[in-house]
Amino acid sequence: MRKILQFLFVVCGLLFYDAPLFAQQKIITGTILSETDSKPLQGVTVQNRQTAQKTQTNSAGFYSIAASPGHQLIFSFVGYGTRTIVAGNAPAINLQMKAENKDLENVVVTALGINRSKRSLGYAANDVKGAELAQTQRDNFINGLAGRVPGVTISGTSGMPGSSTSIQLRGVNSLSGSNQPLFVIDGLPVNNQTFNANNMVAQSENRTVDFSNRISDLNPEDIESLTILKGPEAAALYGIDAANGAIVITTKKGKAGTGSISYGYNYGIEKVGRLPEIEGVYSRGTNGILNNNAVNTATNSPIYFGPKYPAGTVSFNNLDNFFNNGIVNKHNLSFDGGSGNYTYRLSTSYSTRSGVVPNTKYDRINISLTGTAQILKNLKAETNLQYINTKNQKVSKGANSFYLALLSFPTDSDITDYLTASGARKKLTTAGTEIENPFFDVNKNKLNDKGNRVISNLGFVYDPLKWLSLTGRLGIDVSTNEYFVLYHPEANPRANFGNTNGSLDISNQVNRVITGQYFATVKQNFLDNKLKLTLRAGSATYVFDDNVYSIRGENFLEPNFNSINNTTTTTQRTKSIKAQKRVVGAFGDFNLSYADFFYLTATGRNDWTSTLPESSNSFFYPSLSTSFVFTELLKNSRITDILTLGRIRGSIAQVGKDASPYSTNPALEAQGITGGGFSYGFTAPNPLLRPEKVTSKEVGMELQFFNNRLSFDGAYYKSKSVDQIINGLRISYGTGFILKNINGGELENTGVELILRGTPVKSKSLLWDASVNFTKTDSKLTKLPSGVTEFYNSDTWLFGNVRNGARPGGALTTLTAQFTYQYNNKGQLLINPTSGLPLTTNNALWPVAGDRNPDFRMGFYNSFTWKGINLNFLWDYKKGGDVFNGTGLYLYNLGLHPRSVQNRETNLTFDGVLRDGLENSTNPTPNNVSINPYYNNNFYSGSVIDQEFIERDVNWLRMRDITMSYQLPAKFLGNTKVFKSATIGFTATDLILITNYTGGDPGVNGTSVATGGSGSMGIDYGNLPVPKTFNFNLRVGL
Amino acid sequence: MMKKNINILVIGCLLLTSASCKKFLDVNKNPNGPSTADPALYLPSIQTSWASGLQFDARLIAPYIQNFQHATAGISYDIYGYVPSSDFGGELWRSVYWKSGVNTIDLLNGAREQKKWDILGAGLAMQAWGWQMLTDYHGPIILKQAFDPLKNTFDYDPQDTVYAYVKRECLEAIGELDKKTDAIGSPLFTKFDLIYKGDPLKWKKFVYGILAINAHHLIKKPGYKPDDVIGYVDNALASNADDAIVPFNGTNSADANFFGTLRGNIGVYGQSGFIVRLMDGTIFNGMKDPRQPIMLNPSTDGVYRGLTPATGQSSTVSATASGVRSVWGTTLGINAVPLGTPGKYLFQDKVGFPLMTYASLQFIKAEAAFFKGDKNLALTAYKAGINASLDYVRTFTADPTAIAAFNTQRTAFLAEPSVVPTDPANLTISQIMLQKYIALWGYGFIETWTDLRKFDYDPNVYTSFTLPTTLYIDNNNIPAYRVRPRYNSEYIWNIDALKAIGGFDANYHTKKLWIHLP
Repeated sequence: MRKILQFLFVVCGLLFYDAPLFAQQKIITGTILSETDSKPLQGVTVQNRQTAQKTQTNSAGFYSIAASPGHQLIFSFVGYGTRTIVAGNAPAINLQMKAENKDLENVVVTALGINRSKRSLGYAANDVKGAELAQTQRDNFINGLAGRVPGVTISGTSGMPGSSTSIQLRGVNSLSGSNQPLFVIDGLPVNNQTFNANNMVAQSENRTVDFSNRISDLNPEDIESLTILKGPEAAALYGIDAANGAIVITTKKGKAGTGSISYGYNYGIEKVGRLPEIEGVYSRGTNGILNNNAVNTATNSPIYFGPKYPAGTVSFNNLDNFFNNGIVNKHNLSFDGGSGNYTYRLSTSYSTRSGVVPNTKYDRINISLTGTAQILKNLKAETNLQYINTKNQKVSKGANSFYLALLSFPTDSDITDYLTASGARKKLTTAGTEIENPFFDVNKNKLNDKGNRVISNLGFVYDPLKWLSLTGRLGIDVSTNEYFVLYHPEANPRANFGNTNGSLDISNQVNRVITGQYFATVKQNFLDNKLKLTLRAGSATYVFDDNVYSIRGENFLEPNFNSINNTTTTTQRTKSIKAQKRVVGAFGDFNLSYADFFYLTATGRNDWTSTLPESSNSFFYPSLSTSFVFTELLKNSRITDILTLGRIRGSIAQVGKDASPYSTNPALEAQGITGGGFSYGFTAPNPLLRPEKVTSKEVGMELQFFNNRLSFDGAYYKSKSVDQIINGLRISYGTGFILKNINGGELENTGVELILRGTPVKSKSLLWDASVNFTKTDSKLTKLPSGVTEFYNSDTWLFGNVRNGARPGGALTTLTAQFTYQYNNKGQLLINPTSGLPLTTNNALWPVAGDRNPDFRMGFYNSFTWKGINLNFLWDYKKGGDVFNGTGLYLYNLGLHPRSVQNRETNLTFDGVLRDGLENSTNPTPNNVSINPYYNNNFYSGSVIDQEFIERDVNWLRMRDITMSYQLPAKFLGNTKVFKSATIGFTATDLILITNYTGGDPGVNGTSVATGGSGSMGIDYGNLPVPKTFNFNLRVGL
Repeated sequence: MMKKNINILVIGCLLLTSASCKKFLDVNKNPNGPSTADPALYLPSIQTSWASGLQFDARLIAPYIQNFQHATAGISYDIYGYVPSSDFGGELWRSVYWKSGVNTIDLLNGAREQKKWDILGAGLAMQAWGWQMLTDYHGPIILKQAFDPLKNTFDYDPQDTVYAYVKRECLEAIGELDKKTDAIGSPLFTKFDLIYKGDPLKWKKFVYGILAINAHHLIKKPGYKPDDVIGYVDNALASNADDAIVPFNGTNSADANFFGTLRGNIGVYGQSGFIVRLMDGTIFNGMKDPRQPIMLNPSTDGVYRGLTPATGQSSTVSATASGVRSVWGTTLGINAVPLGTPGKYLFQDKVGFPLMTYASLQFIKAEAAFFKGDKNLALTAYKAGINASLDYVRTFTADPTAIAAFNTQRTAFLAEPSVVPTDPANLTISQIMLQKYIALWGYGFIETWTDLRKFDYDPNVYTSFTLPTTLYIDNNNIPAYRVRPRYNSEYIWNIDALKAIGGFDANYHTKKLWIHLP
């Protein structure tokens, strides 16, 4: 440290000493501050255009440079643009620079943490400021990305705190595997698993429980920026895990100078979101006869086909009585500073959110410490250490959940009255199984997960020679999680795996990801610095280790004591699941730039994976991308007065994907049956697996007009995936198994992404920034393995007979449905002459019945800054795409849906012809059978096929978030002398939802992210809509 | 040029690391279970799956054979239909191909390698048993191409092929079970063989039992040899002690009997009117069957009633004193009963499930002898069958008063000529089939169904057996003769092969099996 100071002293001394030699010049000094927080900016390049002399600001933002009056001084800083100031006679030029994000000259952090200028990239890379995500006050910052960036599809499972969120970049690349991108923090991959419920002893599906995806552990306040690398170009350097793209997160670093403390507090209130409409007109019963014991045998829910409630019946507002206001409290405290060549940042955060559903809560504590050090002149180190503690208390979802029970709960019963005097579960009926009172469910059944996680990484950059740089990084991500699923002895036995008198499943997971990476960079310039070459070569290692120990016990001794020690010992069973995966990669890339207008990048990577057979576990994949800034050739022409910058780009990249661990090797499973022993599991081992390959092509154009006031970025891409490794393909049991992992299937994706950004108003007092983005993706399943006509994921078969099924020639996002109406050769509906109801065909091979893929999506962002006030809001528009309203069908079957209430007591005759043998003759018999649904509630099970509840072309316009903040003027703070800055703000999320969807929220996802493929987006069954949240926050800087 | 550079780099790295790399990457051996196990360790899963396969599918065929009926009126399997696009009724398929399938192949390979001939014999016997049950249930099945790891779709084999294969496999099993050398008698065999505790002699008797069933089911075929059947039976199970019973611990939902209350599956089924008529004296000259109180449930008013197929019973009636009870003896229509509800007879958590009984084989012998014209022998076997069943059923009560009453009633029952004729010449085929029906009630589902199909559900043989007036819509008024292959295995993933045997025909389930055609 002292040496460095000495060194600096000498350097400064020399500068002063040299001064007389340039008599005509004088020294200009100054301090560069950030306009946003008035903090010094270190590393701003100051260049004298005339003398070409260059210097940089120090940690205090101070610089000094020789210049004569009239010389142009160019101040440039990454992310802050460039300012040119003509030196006058004044000895000082102080400057406040403003962070910008529209600048084409900006650099982005790409693969391996490499900073690259945007103009040199041959593919689309969108970056988002961490502050933009943090201001929305969402726990899971991923949810803040919806609508903000083109090509990104976000779908949350439900509106419960801590629910998991699926993120897909450029659609579905894998039929059955994960389509989630790789998350990278400060250059190293981290774990974003969602716990798979199948790891529990009593296997449950990912539809009834939802465990968080682990990336939501991050504190949005710790994110400086994130870059979204959408295509497999990212994978060219990151390897197989980035085949679905990568999200590269850069954490906030400390700023040298006086230490500063900043504190933020947020208080929020959540209100339940859009609920489906329920008609509580008719009482329980069948065919118009009152019977309070009448239930739907499939769901055990009461059916409302009795007479109308008599006048004077006390009606309870059960929905309102059930939901409460959620409360959000968040504290963020960070402390950063540094001196000389060392900076640090310590941030702590406590966030707690109770949901609109009683007993749901998400608590998170984050502690993050970041340090940077310039150890030697040519050796830099960077480290980040994060500790995260999460606790998520949740409730059931989907089938048999509190939510469906709530929707179907009789309005003539008081939902709050759920226990008998003796504390037992109060029944609705006197016979048989029935739905569980939602209060009983949320109070007596327990689902929660708790996590402790440490993410740590350390990076060194050593520049032994001017043209050589060596980088090494090591990252460790270790987490332990406990997952807990408890059903009370009196709970609904359907969810409880039989009549078990209470059951408890606990899984303890210890997960460890270690990543290491090193590479050398060689840079050489030729032809008078016009031709710049960069060559990089290195290697990466990925070690994944997952251990789950699960235990289950049944038959509680004491009904309300929740511990495995409370279960009968003979019922206790355990299970251990381990998974290991290792990947070694060697990569290289080569960058060429000529005169800052032509760029070419070629990369290559070879991976060796542990999950494929030795014969096929090594695979190479290359990429090539180019960028051409054509406006450089037009410089100083009139065109560039309008078109400031323009470039075209193109890339082609390939990536291989490996299999899940142990797909190739059989393992017998210990049996819990009488006698024990071993038996094969569901999935056939396949020792012949090969890597799958995705090839992606992209072209794009970027235009910038009027000095950045308006810009356009467009991309078109096409990707093709062959030899898909289909995990768990259902297959003839003749194999000896139920599922098989096989190579087969080809699919294609195409898409267009557009962004238009502008600053319509930029005056001294008012700044208006606006941007619009547009996304269109299309997918096509071109081939399935022979003998297979439909690929479906059984997890998504949630209700009725509609599921996520894809058939060759169609999209990957289609729905297939079992039943279709019967028509005669003229296309007239066939009617059963006996019942008067339409006839349906029960298709063994399910035809495609809908497509969930929207026609396009758009995001609209506006930000207004007037004096210290900023107002910004984000609209998200989706056009088209079908949604299966499973909840609606459920309510229809029970006689609660508006469609099953209106016209119930009117005679009606279906428009069609009778299937009486004459239906295909020249004179078919028109249907003359009249029915009265009131007396014939078969109407509500026999007349509507499930696919009528696939709602077509569901559009939405959502206000994802709106934020208003006010930065208190310095003069207000001047008196206090304590605060350097203070901001107050208001943020609301999911405030407005305008949609033609008749159910609740069309944006929910029927299963958790653990379900692969295109998952259950657009399948709405028993999911709580996303709540509206109102946040008030305060931020002060000391 | 550039690409070449990269290649050189990559190759360089590869060379540097290849040896250690290979070792580093060698972590794909599944640590969650062994890749192979001692052959004996596969036994519990296979054996349990035979019981559960038959029990799951009993929900479909017990109504076909009118053992018990569903509480819901008009449910498709009460009217000899099926559940379309559903795996309902496809559990035996799952047991044979998945639960037994590759596990048995591993078992056979391991036993051969380790020269454990006794386990090899038992494994062959179990495999033969699976094919026999499956073909009697479905008709044509996947046999020759099954388990080929290179295939993803599989052709069907006709029933005669399966019958011949089962016979061959049984003879092979006997050959192995006769071996007295090498590594036989492993303690693991004794420990993990749930059925016979590793006793090769009993396994041999079991194999003869399969041979008897296999030969006897060909009674409608020209080459039927009753003497072969009788010979096989005489080498098969010699008493109730030889019965092949799969036991259940019944401590939790995983190791409990599928029929028990813990699993909560069959509270929606009530005893049929037909079995009540057979046991309450309606058919046998007013003679009450001593087994009735143990096997069947009276309504709460004490009267034995049964359900009429396709009629069901409303929840209102179920709640009354004259409502038919569930087979557990609880209120009909409710699967979730309080924990600890004991259930009844074979419908209990801890009760073993019989796959093959001495009694059932004696009735086969009786029928074969009857066919042959040897009525003396037929009557002897017939009586042995009834007595074996009476002995077996009596073990379900420990109450001395009930046992005493049982014994008294038994004497009277056996003395009743309409049950046991004194003169062998008076023995009728109907008597044999009805007593067999009673003995096999609650477990011998496929054997009983094979008999009923053989006689085309004839009420002259099965006195008072009545089909519902309206059958399932696709049946064209013909009752069921086979069950469709498992939906999710075959109707979606093995379509071409299934189409080739007519499996997509709407009335496929009403087509007669090869064994039932002359």
